[in-house]
Amino acid sequence: MSRLEAKKPSLCKSEPLTSERVRATLSVLKGIVASCYGPSGRLKQLHNGLGGSVCTTSQSSALLANLSVTHPILKILTTSVQNHVSCFSDCGLFTAILCCNLIENVQRLDLTPTTLIKLNKHLLSLCTSYLKSEVCGCRIPVDFSSTQILLCLVRSVLTSKPACMLTRKEVDHISTLILRAFLLTIPENAGDHISLGNSIIVPLKGQRVVDSTVLPGILIEVSEIRLMKILPIKKSDSLKVALFRVSLSGDLSDTGEGSVVVSYGVSLENAVLDQLLNLGRQLVSDHVDLVLCQKVIHPSLKQFLGVHRVLAIDRVGAALMEPLSKVTGTQPIGSLGSISPSSYGSVKDLCTAKFGFKWFFHLIPNKATVCSLLLCNRNGTAWDELKLTCQTALHVLQLTIKEPCVLLGGGCTETHLAAYIRHKTFNDPESILKDSGCTSTELQLITEAFCTALESLTGSLEHDGGEILTDMKYGHFWSVQADSPSIVNWPDLLTRCGCGLHNSREELNWSFLRTSRHPFAPLPCLPHEAVGSANNLTLDCFTAKLSGLQVAVETANLILDLSYVIEDKN
Amino acid sequence: MARRVINKKRHLGLQQLSAFADTGRTFLGPVKSSKFIIDEESHESVVVGSTVRLLESLDLSSAVGQLLSEAVQAQHNTYRTGASTLLLLVGAWSSAVEECLHLGVPVSLIVSGMSEGLDSCIEEVTSLQVPVHDVFDHIDSTKIFSELESLNVSLCPFLQIASDTGLILKERDLKDVASQSLTTCSLSERPVKSAKLFRPQATVGADKNTSQTPKTLRNSLPADSRCRQSVLTHSRHCNREASDQWTSRHGAAAPQADRCGDLGELAVGLSHGDHSSMRLVEGAVRLQHQNTSVCQGSWTMPFTFDISRVFTCCLPGLPEAFSCVCPGYVTVVSMFSATVLEDLQNQPLGVVLIEGDLTENYRHLGFNKSANVQTVLESMKKLQQDSSEQLWTNHVLQVLVKFNVNLVLVQGTVSEHLIEKCVHTKRLVIGSVNGSVMQAFAEASGAVQVSYITQVSDNSVGRGVSVTFWRSSPLDVGDGISRMAILLKTEGINLVTVVLTDPVTAQMQTKEDRFWTCAYRLHYALKEQKVFLGGGAVEFLCLSHLQILMEQPLNKGDQTCSGGLHNTSSWLASSLALYRPTVLKCLAEGWHKYLSTVICNTANYSSEFEARTFIQHHLQNATDSGSPSSYILNEYSKLNSGVFNSGISNEPEQIPRVYDIVTPKIEAWRRALDLVLLVLQTDSEIITGSGHTQIKSQESEGFLFL
Repeated sequence: MSRLEAKKPSLCKSEPLTSERVRATLSVLKGIVASCYGPSGRLKQLHNGLGGSVCTTSQSSALLANLSVTHPILKILTTSVQNHVSCFSDCGLFTAILCCNLIENVQRLDLTPTTLIKLNKHLLSLCTSYLKSEVCGCRIPVDFSSTQILLCLVRSVLTSKPACMLTRKEVDHISTLILRAFLLTIPENAGDHISLGNSIIVPLKGQRVVDSTVLPGILIEVSEIRLMKILPIKKSDSLKVALFRVSLSGDLSDTGEGSVVVSYGVSLENAVLDQLLNLGRQLVSDHVDLVLCQKVIHPSLKQFLGVHRVLAIDRVGAALMEPLSKVTGTQPIGSLGSISPSSYGSVKDLCTAKFGFKWFFHLIPNKATVCSLLLCNRNGTAWDELKLTCQTALHVLQLTIKEPCVLLGGGCTETHLAAYIRHKTFNDPESILKDSGCTSTELQLITEAFCTALESLTGSLEHDGGEILTDMKYGHFWSVQADSPSIVNWPDLLTRCGCGLHNSREELNWSFLRTSRHPFAPLPCLPHEAVGSANNLTLDCFTAKLSGLQVAVETANLILDLSYVIEDKN
Repeated sequence: MARRVINKKRHLGLQQLSAFADTGRTFLGPVKSSKFIIDEESHESVVVGSTVRLLESLDLSSAVGQLLSEAVQAQHNTYRTGASTLLLLVGAWSSAVEECLHLGVPVSLIVSGMSEGLDSCIEEVTSLQVPVHDVFDHIDSTKIFSELESLNVSLCPFLQIASDTGLILKERDLKDVASQSLTTCSLSERPVKSAKLFRPQATVGADKNTSQTPKTLRNSLPADSRCRQSVLTHSRHCNREASDQWTSRHGAAAPQADRCGDLGELAVGLSHGDHSSMRLVEGAVRLQHQNTSVCQGSWTMPFTFDISRVFTCCLPGLPEAFSCVCPGYVTVVSMFSATVLEDLQNQPLGVVLIEGDLTENYRHLGFNKSANVQTVLESMKKLQQDSSEQLWTNHVLQVLVKFNVNLVLVQGTVSEHLIEKCVHTKRLVIGSVNGSVMQAFAEASGAVQVSYITQVSDNSVGRGVSVTFWRSSPLDVGDGISRMAILLKTEGINLVTVVLTDPVTAQMQTKEDRFWTCAYRLHYALKEQKVFLGGGAVEFLCLSHLQILMEQPLNKGDQTCSGGLHNTSSWLASSLALYRPTVLKCLAEGWHKYLSTVICNTANYSSEFEARTFIQHHLQNATDSGSPSSYILNEYSKLNSGVFNSGISNEPEQIPRVYDIVTPKIEAWRRALDLVLLVLQTDSEIITGSGHTQIKSQESEGFLFL
């Protein structure tokens, strides 16, 4: 007998942003992400409170994946940041903080959401067109003939994640490795269509960071005992490879539901094993030198292959299958039936290597764009963070090759951009007002809110009570100790701007970021030779930051536009 | 989801760290005190003698506790040593860092200043490295063993009987130990005596003629006779003269640590008070070296101490004197299985090596059994009483008979039924054999490891394994069941079993742990071919180096003096000079605590305060001398000054040098600092999932909810 229960009515809340609870949770979320931002950002210990593993991190991807937010508004925010991170890896915290700042700032204004959204969009397009334009003052073209800019970019990514626990030397070492790994994934003869290869990160926890290394080809971890047993192998110019996706363990393939009835004396296991041995005979007669299997190979088949001097490596794992098939040029074999000769591939050489306590087979390809980055770090939680960071850095390099320019980091792009927007809307408000039909007061208010959001974002870089200044020439970011005397010789107190491009001896004027300034047109950065000489710049990925900016503003707009939250309580 | 701010006025994480770390204080240094850990509910208790075992028994389920145990485990799993150092430094540094926070030093500056300081110290202490070279040069397998055998005569007369005649002396319990491990026991005899010297507070007066002074050791004497001769020259006066000589030699130039070229000296120096374990390790190394040099023949490759080919066999209940090193594999079998030994002794056996279990139902890893296959009988006549297990057992026996196999080594478990059947047909099946033991037998006997008995072929059977009783009388391994210890070996097998015995069962674990600690210490020393001068010299140099750094002004604009800050543009870089001395002092606190704890543990000074004054005094001397490393080397060559050997012996000139391993020690420092800095930089704890529902209302203060 079925029983019907009356459905609960849906819960409808209007103007969700005005609720105190929403504001409070938003500010908690903002507190979490803002305190993580930058090279001196504070770390978070994520754990389930029940003795599960502890993750110490300051990365948005790790953080947001583990935060279980309940309110729909926060869900919108975290989801769009996560989407951004999954596409661009970098600038997740930037996006999240900027979005929170925008919502917070704009909310205080007594304006209709339509106006807010419209003007926000205008300001965003001002930003993006400026960043994309040739005159942009916070963008540096990347010269691929030297490693300098690329190394700076990688180093900036690494140093922005303090939970990796790297010393200066280690940062240099890892940056070089990442760049080398990236270069190994670029094909030598590029046609019109370049497809980058991939770098596989191989874990080696517990070792020293400086023991990390990059090797072309693929490393397959094996236990030492297995290794010693298989070692004798015939040598020739290249080895013929068969790659199996299907398990060769000799168990019955899925028999489905119901039961299989066999007569006494019939052994299904033996039947399967016979089939495997037939397969082995074919491999031997096809002169295969190396058999790789994603899953398990039956010991008897292994023995058979070993007797015929064929090297069998099993339990390669799903993650390595795609790069393996790419490197060797094989077609992964999915059935135990006969194998078409076209499925075979080849590798140049195979050797064994020992790193730390682990033994590896090292597959050296004939010509391929796959490399293995053997990554070491002292403890587990720092290793996890370092792995994520390295992946981000590799991704950032890939994005940079598509769009060959970088943005100034260390907060300089944001302050510069804010100065530009202020200047633009102050001197040329007509072009915006004409399109949007808003009053100039409204535009001024929104500009202020927008620029403050950008500027207070840079304030989140400071975690030790320092204050932020900006210069009135380039609009860059400068930090100073809190409670500095008001009359002070700034050039003595300051050293370099956030990105490291300018130093304090350049006859600049400074003003506190929190005080109001007269709008000025920030000058573009130095001519190229000066950029070339600066070897310690902090740089950001252009594509990731641009997307982060867009995602932040659009998400803020979306949240501001919400007038009802309707929850189905059933 | 809840979030707890842990960095308000006091840093909760750091406080937790120092509280946890304090528990391991007594495990530091050569004199360790064991601890009893008692479970209040079950009233079970356990004796722990090392940091790792202690942390295993503690409840470290909090986030910080987990990070701590993760760090200790990582250190232990990689190096097997340095866990106590790590724990102590974690404690000292976390309280020192908290002090820094109170003084208002910005977190980022503590982080960068401390890691820069540590880097600088690590660079500095390389001057105290002692190269370890050619320690095996004078252990020429042919020449030296003859000398050592002649040594037998004087040192262990009873051993000679066994080795000469092979007779079994019924009245002497030791005899079969002796016959198996003849060379090793005698080999280790010489270091045993010096061991007593090193043992803290041991009053040593006798044994003058075998005692090893630093001077003799430094000369790495090849023969015992010369050793004795040189001892005569080592009166107190000669010693002084020697050290004067030394100073004049190194007077002007930067002093360098001497080299270490003798295995015995190295082992004594690395034993850190645990001489009985180190004696066994040394025996194992010598056996392995002898073995590999025999096997390699003319092909020379630098010898490395392959620790995976050393195996321990723990026999609780036997007196300590039975501990020994044997070539081959010693294991314990049931009395029932042992009955076949009478027949199998004194003949070469065929061996099969089975990886996995030897049972009917065993299938290799990764094989999925189908649950839904049924077997039906077509006619009743095939219904026999023989179960399928019996059929399988018979099949196994047929294979063994066919290939003339009398010994089966199995990595996993073995069917009881099969063992029984095999014993009846005079075959020995041994289960739960360690993987590297299997590997060693595979190499030496030519056997190939297989997963199933059906895979056995002529090629996979090994030949020439011999089996004997290790001791003729049964022993009880603590569970009331009598067993026999047997010894398996084959010509040229690269496997050494270290038999560890202890009359107290509860101590067995500690004993095994200590053996491995010593083994890994020697392993790393030989692998890295360098050691540190030990006994606190390295830590002391760090202290005096930091003292100098503190007084040194910072060069502005100098890249290397950026204090390890990644972000040189921040205001922090310019205020570095202001806070640097405070931060470096905080770093120095770690080694201060380390040294004073070691000194306190060895009970030279009753209070930590006294110990600190003592250190401070020497620190002042070292700084005043202008070059701390030469000061240390000088003190070291005197040895009786008491800094580096405090309380070790009553007669100073009989103290052998103390050494420390390099990378594991430095990595322990690094890991400790990493952990402290990781926790320092953490400002909140985020409890994910449903965990926060457990947070009780009275605790919820300080929590924020999302």
